[in-house]
Amino acid sequence: MEELDDLDDLAEFHWMMDMLQTVDVGIVVLDTQFQIRVWNAFMESHSGLLPSQVRDRNLFQLFPEIDQAWLRNKCRPVFELKNRAFITWEQRPYIYKFPNYRPITGTEDFMYQNVTLSPLTGATGKVDHMCMMIYDVTDVAANKKRAEAVEVTLNELKEKTGHRSM
Amino acid sequence: MFSVLICDDSMVARKQAAKCLPDDWEVQIHFAKHGGEAIDALKEGKGQLLLLDLNMPIMDGYETLENIIKEGIDTKVVVVSGDIQPEAHERVKALGALDFIEKPVSKPVLKKILLANGVLEEVKEEVKNEPAVDALDPDVRDCYQEITNIAMGQAGDHLARILNVFVRLPIPNVNLIEVSELHMMLQDIELKDSVSGICQGFVGPGISGEALFILSDSSFGDVARIMGINGQVDDQVQLELLMDAANILIGTCLNGLASQLDLYFSQGHPVVLGQHRSISELISSNKLRWKRTLAIELSYGLEGYNVHCDLVLLLTEESMKAMNYKLSHLLED
Repeated sequence: MEELDDLDDLAEFHWMMDMLQTVDVGIVVLDTQFQIRVWNAFMESHSGLLPSQVRDRNLFQLFPEIDQAWLRNKCRPVFELKNRAFITWEQRPYIYKFPNYRPITGTEDFMYQNVTLSPLTGATGKVDHMCMMIYDVTDVAANKKRAEAVEVTLNELKEKTGHRSM
Repeated sequence: MFSVLICDDSMVARKQAAKCLPDDWEVQIHFAKHGGEAIDALKEGKGQLLLLDLNMPIMDGYETLENIIKEGIDTKVVVVSGDIQPEAHERVKALGALDFIEKPVSKPVLKKILLANGVLEEVKEEVKNEPAVDALDPDVRDCYQEITNIAMGQAGDHLARILNVFVRLPIPNVNLIEVSELHMMLQDIELKDSVSGICQGFVGPGISGEALFILSDSSFGDVARIMGINGQVDDQVQLELLMDAANILIGTCLNGLASQLDLYFSQGHPVVLGQHRSISELISSNKLRWKRTLAIELSYGLEGYNVHCDLVLLLTEESMKAMNYKLSHLLED
């Protein structure tokens, strides 16, 4: 009986890992030294780097284009205060430069990203890891940019025709 | 027409005070965000009655009272403050204030004080006891105020540790407001283009709401200095600072509330209000869904700096059921 339970637990662990792998959100787990501990399939597919290539490597060495001082600053409240932190695409369009998810019909060259940094508490109650979640918000960003462009054109037209009260 | 000047750095408090003026009293209402603005308005004759807060940036209530005496301005002052220390009471009376009202101000109390000091004349025998339909149960309000106080203490401590500054802790303002008032409150932000705002949705079991973080644009210079940013503080830097401050304040405040309510809040991704979409648009899309909302407002200041920000937690009316249940141990006698 006990063996069966163990098997069930193993099966559950298996599909939990599967889910973590296949969810269409980038998941990266970093320790306090910014060594990569988890790198899911989303990250693998978009970066072209296998988990085995990034595991236990330093994030800033692998991705020198990431502004180190800036990101460390964002992570301070996460590690020190157990606080979630959010970065919007309006601050920085992306953390990792990934190509557009829709290479044919997409209008933007790269993937705009929203990022959530969430503290992970260890068995001792201390925050020793952090989960970085990467969301693709390219469509949101493209739509907003388009809306702003339309607004500018509209204002120019209004100025030209003198219909300021429109 | 009789003119009333309401001076408070918190916009919810200003609206609240305006709402509590007697219904049948025809007055012209003016607003000031701090003592400096109040003195200017008084000199222009905009304030036969002044409702004055004590803790404000730039010029606080005490200095305002001193200036009124020094400049010989003719006005009747009633202090409305969350500072419940007896000395505060004594000090403002010594400085010429007619009376003292503890925050949050309520309609019956304000009316009683205005009558007692001869500011308002009794109109007929209108003594009908209005049932306080939209008022929050005082015990519930007290309870919300207390848990927010504790959460804010933690948030303030966190902010102080990260920024290395002393944080003046606010007294939370807890009110049930109608959607129309939320509209007013947010339009207030829209009219003054000198603030920037972030809003973020949060949800826990049976509880849902939004956190609204508003930073006055004049604060950015000092915030940049505190954060150790050199060089020009352009729009991009301002957005970074706004997000950083919002992350810390909203996050720690929600964490503090969640731990006291013994639950977990999921936080949505923050949305930049000022740049993202117009505030009237934001409200119009929410208009139909919300009737009343529980608003918890916190005004923060940093000692020695010209930094002022407002954190408003808006909770749906339904959330109160779940919150009261979770807090039943505090609400029982």
